[in-house]
Amino acid sequence: MIRWIKQLDGILRGDATRMSALKHGKIETPVGGVTVITILLGATYGICMGAYAMIRTGGASADAYWQMLASAVKLPLLFFLTLLITLPSLYVFNALVGSRLSVLSVIRLLISMLGVMLAVLASFGPIVVFFSVSTDSYPFMKLLNVVVAALAGFLGLAFLLRTLHRLVLAQIEVDRKGIAPASKIETSNDQDVPVELIEVDEDDNTSALDQVGYGTTEKARSVFRIWIIVFSLVGAQMSWVLRPFIGSPDMPFTWFRARESNFFLDVIDSIGKLFGM
Amino acid sequence: MTRQALNNIDDLLRARMQFSLERAPRHRQIILWMIVFGLTYGIVMGSFGGITPDRFQQILYSATKVPVLLAATFLLSLPSFFVINTLMGLRSDFAQVIRLLISTQAALTVILASFAPFTALWYLSFADYEVAKLFNAFMFGCASITAQLVLLRLYRPLIKKNPRHRVMVRLWLVIYAFVGIQMGWTLRPFIGKPGMETTFFRQEAFTNAYVEVVQTIMRAVGW
Repeated sequence: MIRWIKQLDGILRGDATRMSALKHGKIETPVGGVTVITILLGATYGICMGAYAMIRTGGASADAYWQMLASAVKLPLLFFLTLLITLPSLYVFNALVGSRLSVLSVIRLLISMLGVMLAVLASFGPIVVFFSVSTDSYPFMKLLNVVVAALAGFLGLAFLLRTLHRLVLAQIEVDRKGIAPASKIETSNDQDVPVELIEVDEDDNTSALDQVGYGTTEKARSVFRIWIIVFSLVGAQMSWVLRPFIGSPDMPFTWFRARESNFFLDVIDSIGKLFGM
Repeated sequence: MTRQALNNIDDLLRARMQFSLERAPRHRQIILWMIVFGLTYGIVMGSFGGITPDRFQQILYSATKVPVLLAATFLLSLPSFFVINTLMGLRSDFAQVIRLLISTQAALTVILASFAPFTALWYLSFADYEVAKLFNAFMFGCASITAQLVLLRLYRPLIKKNPRHRVMVRLWLVIYAFVGIQMGWTLRPFIGKPGMETTFFRQEAFTNAYVEVVQTIMRAVGW
């Protein structure tokens, strides 16, 4: 357990994604333990979110405890389900552009990203609990949680893009030295590989408009850039599908609510309510 | 002993702390100043209703609320600040950062305590409760702005070391102000309306400072 926390700490401090750690152009740290810690952090924040329902009802009814439990279960679920929904298309497009990032590397990268997101989210837990205690306004609580989640999401996605950038650099480095893709290391002889690389490609039919040096890894990066937009949108709507997380003080506890409206309309609606319109 | 403490406080206000490490005070000592000076201002602030035995409880409440306000805001804001600092690769400086932040809290109470005579004079001059509230809010505002200058000054060597600290110190001010304003609102009454029963918290349900402000503005605009 302590080792897992240290692994997550390594990710947060940047040790796991430093250039020296990525020298083969892939992520080598295992993330099994980090997944567990990430789920626990998500559950912690879920409890913090659910605290509002608890405090509003004075903790009198069993409903309030159910809301906290439900939020603790649903919050990690929200992030992992969002990942699950966006992962297949990411895999397909990543393979289509011929990226050399292996599936394992991609999964490790994404789990690390979730680790960053949920660590940031959980660290805002105390503030959310404090506002739950001292606030009677339900729209305010909703918006506060949206802002905190957006901040956590932004930092997580920034981590993702920066790490990808490092992976690209690491792979360019690898190409230049002519060593890896790691699988070829055993078969290649250190001395004759560079010669092969310098050899002129007979079939080189680069057109005037082709971008030289714009390798497959860079293409993979564009795929990820588009993917983070998809991830944000899916995540926002997923949070709506899995609602309630906070628990409206006027409604009885339910695990899920009926299908209606969407995340974005409700955010606008909450802002309106906050301003008394 | 006292002389040493006064020297240290002087160093703190002049932001000399990190330069004179050999006589740098311990955390415990800084926290002690925060409590002592916070109580000092709190006692003066709570004396609006007069210094009589039946107002004693209110003065006690007001006095404890100042250090509680600062400490609670500090503790609530710290975890997120810690994680974001780590993400920015500034973990190795964090011990120093905590020291700066605690020192700033102490500096804030020293500044507040130095304003206490003004508050006392104000209470002697004007009997209006609403105006007394405004005056105290003004004193807190002035002290916060001055303390922020101390913080920026204490941060300067860190910023020189790594410019990212500049972003972080701004982030700290945003988080701290966001939590602090609501904390101040929640811990009302600080002064205690004469004639009202003395209570630690207001009897009515907790409300949100930001929602109150928005609604007041909206009412004024005529929505």
